[in-house]
Amino acid sequence: MRTVTSRRSIWPRSRRGLCIAAVAATGAIALAACGSSGGGSTGSSGGSATSGTIVWSASPIAGSGATDTRTVLIKAFEKAYPKIKVTLVSASTNTDTNRATLATTISGGSSTPDVFMGDVIWPAQFGAHQLALPLSKYLPASYFGKFAPGLIQGATYKGQVYGSPLFEDQGFLYYRKDLLAKYHLAVPKTWEQLESEAKQIQSKAGIKYGFVWEGDSYEGLTCDFMEYLTDAGGTVTNSSFTKATLDSPAAVRAATFMRSLITSGVTPNAVTTFQEPQAMNVFAAGQSVFLRNWDYGYSYATTPATSKLTTSQVGVAPLPTFQGESYPGYSNIGGWNLYINPHSKHINLDLTFIKWLASTQAQDILAEKYSEIPTVESVRTSSAVISSNPVLAIVPKTRLVPRPAGTPNYPALSTAIYTNVNAILAGSVSPSAGLAAAQNQAASALTSTSGGGL
Amino acid sequence: MTTISSAAGQPAVTAAAPPAGRPDVNRRKLARMGWIFAAPALIFVAGVTIFPILYSVVMSLRNVNATGNGFVMTGVTGANYSALIHAAVWRYALGFTIVYTIITVVVELVLGTAIALVLERLTAGRGWMMALLLIPWSMITVINAELWGYIYEGTYGALQAIFQAIGLGHPNILGTSTPAIIGMMVADIWKTTPFVAIIVLAGLVMLPGDIYEAAEIDGASGWYTFWHVTLPLLRPTLALAVMFRVLQAFGLFDLPYVLTGGGPGTATTSLAVLGYDAMFKNLDFGGGAAVATSTALLVLLGCLLSLRTFRVQVGKENT
Amino acid sequence: MRNRKRTGWHRVINGVNISTFLVVLFIGLPLYWLIASSFKTPANIGVDPPQYFPDPLSIANYKSAFVQYDFGVYFRNSLIITLISTALVLGLGTLAGYALGRLPMRGKFTLLVALLMISVFPEIALIAPLYLLLHHLGWLNSYQALIIPYTAFNLPFAIWILRNYMLGIPKEMEETGRIDGASPLRTVWSIILPQALPGIFTAGIFCFTACWTEFLMALTFNISNNYRTIPVGVSQFGTIDVTPYATIFAASVVATVPIGILVFIFRKFVISGLTSGAVKG
Repeated sequence: MRTVTSRRSIWPRSRRGLCIAAVAATGAIALAACGSSGGGSTGSSGGSATSGTIVWSASPIAGSGATDTRTVLIKAFEKAYPKIKVTLVSASTNTDTNRATLATTISGGSSTPDVFMGDVIWPAQFGAHQLALPLSKYLPASYFGKFAPGLIQGATYKGQVYGSPLFEDQGFLYYRKDLLAKYHLAVPKTWEQLESEAKQIQSKAGIKYGFVWEGDSYEGLTCDFMEYLTDAGGTVTNSSFTKATLDSPAAVRAATFMRSLITSGVTPNAVTTFQEPQAMNVFAAGQSVFLRNWDYGYSYATTPATSKLTTSQVGVAPLPTFQGESYPGYSNIGGWNLYINPHSKHINLDLTFIKWLASTQAQDILAEKYSEIPTVESVRTSSAVISSNPVLAIVPKTRLVPRPAGTPNYPALSTAIYTNVNAILAGSVSPSAGLAAAQNQAASALTSTSGGGL
Repeated sequence: MTTISSAAGQPAVTAAAPPAGRPDVNRRKLARMGWIFAAPALIFVAGVTIFPILYSVVMSLRNVNATGNGFVMTGVTGANYSALIHAAVWRYALGFTIVYTIITVVVELVLGTAIALVLERLTAGRGWMMALLLIPWSMITVINAELWGYIYEGTYGALQAIFQAIGLGHPNILGTSTPAIIGMMVADIWKTTPFVAIIVLAGLVMLPGDIYEAAEIDGASGWYTFWHVTLPLLRPTLALAVMFRVLQAFGLFDLPYVLTGGGPGTATTSLAVLGYDAMFKNLDFGGGAAVATSTALLVLLGCLLSLRTFRVQVGKENT
Repeated sequence: MRNRKRTGWHRVINGVNISTFLVVLFIGLPLYWLIASSFKTPANIGVDPPQYFPDPLSIANYKSAFVQYDFGVYFRNSLIITLISTALVLGLGTLAGYALGRLPMRGKFTLLVALLMISVFPEIALIAPLYLLLHHLGWLNSYQALIIPYTAFNLPFAIWILRNYMLGIPKEMEETGRIDGASPLRTVWSIILPQALPGIFTAGIFCFTACWTEFLMALTFNISNNYRTIPVGVSQFGTIDVTPYATIFAASVVATVPIGILVFIFRKFVISGLTSGAVKG
């Protein structure tokens, strides 16, 4: 057959051409996409400086529907600035998922969301990757001076401030008021005292656990560990984030104590899987004497729908410290900042929104309506706020310590801490061996150029 | 003697002798028609997947910095891959993913076949059983992980209560390496065994009854019949199930991410979790792309090595 | 099939029934736990020993799923996206499956393997480039943002199933059409297609389930609440501090009902759709 072979191959050849064309087309789109996503990030907004619509990405904070914190704040803002409309985009409740989505979105060149609510540990990472606008270039120093000490420092990277603190969070000691009163025990001021009181009540009252906290291999463990570490006088890195300092006697003291809580039976060994919901559930079911958790713990533990306890049974106090150190112990800073998308087309409007959210009006709403801890110092210490809620009343008495988030490789640094501390808690390594491993991994995380890599 | 054709064995349709014209012309016409029919699907798949795959492969070979102005890629370097090979956690994730895949697929195969055998004999209620079977498989993976997380929880989970009741103490399943891995396997097996069972059941159902009669006449026992008659005939069906399960299992992500976060430590960190963390936690897109590309290459290698299975599936019609 | 007549107590206690019971237990116990927990009040989720039967029985979680969270919106979005994706997959896949199964094409094997390989590439690495592509096309936060990737990623498996099924249709079918004088396209439409319906239903069920439960792409591409799908929506119930497990379980029970119904209605087809090959006596 003469032409069969050659004619049969015509179709495949043109198909090959089709394939090449398709690849070239998508390649062209790719190049165009890479090229066009730059720019549009500087200077004033397109359009009027006092009217328009901005998009705010924020995770659900509290409430729902008409009482949703974000809705209430937006309505109050729109009342104060009738010409500016705010569209809410509900972000993920998981902070890591939120970071993934935002990094993809902003890196992909999207101009929305204009403003986003993000974790307090993001400024260095987002600043280094230019995923957030340096606010200090647009706002005066006096603006940043009204926040509680330490919060702005945590939002600074290489001299620029990237986030405006929205509301703050910190660790508290929750305790069973009724049980402490029943056995005539005072609120513990040292960790050792807490351990012995817990043991007493466990045996006398038959309550299952003495003290529950967050020990899973995740960011929350870094928060808890920071509290014990700073109480013992230790640090994670030096002040310039170039050297790791995890192999110190203070760190060993902190880790050894955390492990001893488990071996002495005060804390269940399942604590190595506890995140906030698990620890909260155990305490709210009445199964533990003490709990370390964030500020929402009080309302969660005293609401009938979510807890078996009542207000007469739940007390809140600052965290204890180690014997020989000065009370109170350190509370790790959590909370949420507001960031601006560098591609935003309405920078002036965004700044107006952010400034309003740091105003007394907005901070009062957060504090008095939703029991969130305000970031503006004057509101934190005002008598109205202090008397509104037992947790807010304690806030002026606490001492704060931030996580070592001043390096862009913070996630890798935190991973080095929490995976090894978790291994120590599980008993698979000794505290000194675990901390030595953490020290090694932290050192390589600090010097890595690829964000800490794998 | 009865001839049984199964899914793979059927030879393709060849152009029967047409009323007029040469066989080759018709064959060409049919081939052209084939390309026209297949083209939309193929172009669709290629159009959507080729760009991202190529982009990802390119990313893995460059220094990538995720910035506000897009991915800034500089240089051509194997640094991402060398970091990979030198990272203990990647070697662990590789070994873990392979072992996990092998164990879960084997267990699902055995369990699925057993369930299919039971279902085949069921005369009444088979429809209900099938609907029940497919419910776990149709659950959202994230929800499945949350459910099993609730069951395995160390202080108020159902499993620890049962263990305590029968006197086995207080297990910390998700907090200890090996139990966490086994627990995760159980959650995965529970969810995907129905998939295998249904495929095997389909294969069983179409086996003709007379082969069993013939075996019984010959005096063969049930087990012998199964092992030497049923199983060989099921092989193509099983191969299909195994193939797709292996490919799915290698991409294990949702379950470890939600159930254990890759922990305790890095005990349940699969390759996909590792890649995700590298990309979206550390914002190291080059490293993450390297993980993804190397995973795809390894699976490709594995598939090519087991090419014989593919020949069985695709059949001899190409020869 | 084997029909052994059982007598006496063997009618009830026998291998098949016991095994069936075990299977029901294996599948049903965790399902029961899911459903039971969805009726517990949040305060009772964390009690030890756990409540094996909820007390009090509360439907508050179901209410809050629809009222407090926009579960209705997510359900609608998931339904639209899944149905359209499935329709596209079945349409394109049936044609391709027919071609790759019954028409003499060169390079079939390569194509099939290539399709397989594409579906192998880890999804996580494709998210960022796909996001760039969709962003450039302006299609983020829309239905097509998910319909297009879902169709593309589910086509390989669907093509394999459909092709396998097509192989089993007797080859005389095309001849019948040709003898009647029908064009190849008509042959496919009126003769092959009805025969292939079971295979189409099977591929449809698999595709439906895959699209209904997909998480990663839905999370990244459809961030806006109006276009959110069920898996993403349900996983985001709650606030930054509180994860309402009971409500999440309630929502997932509701999300599983459609598939359960579909599977039950089409159960015969699910089996026969995977069946291929005829018995030649």
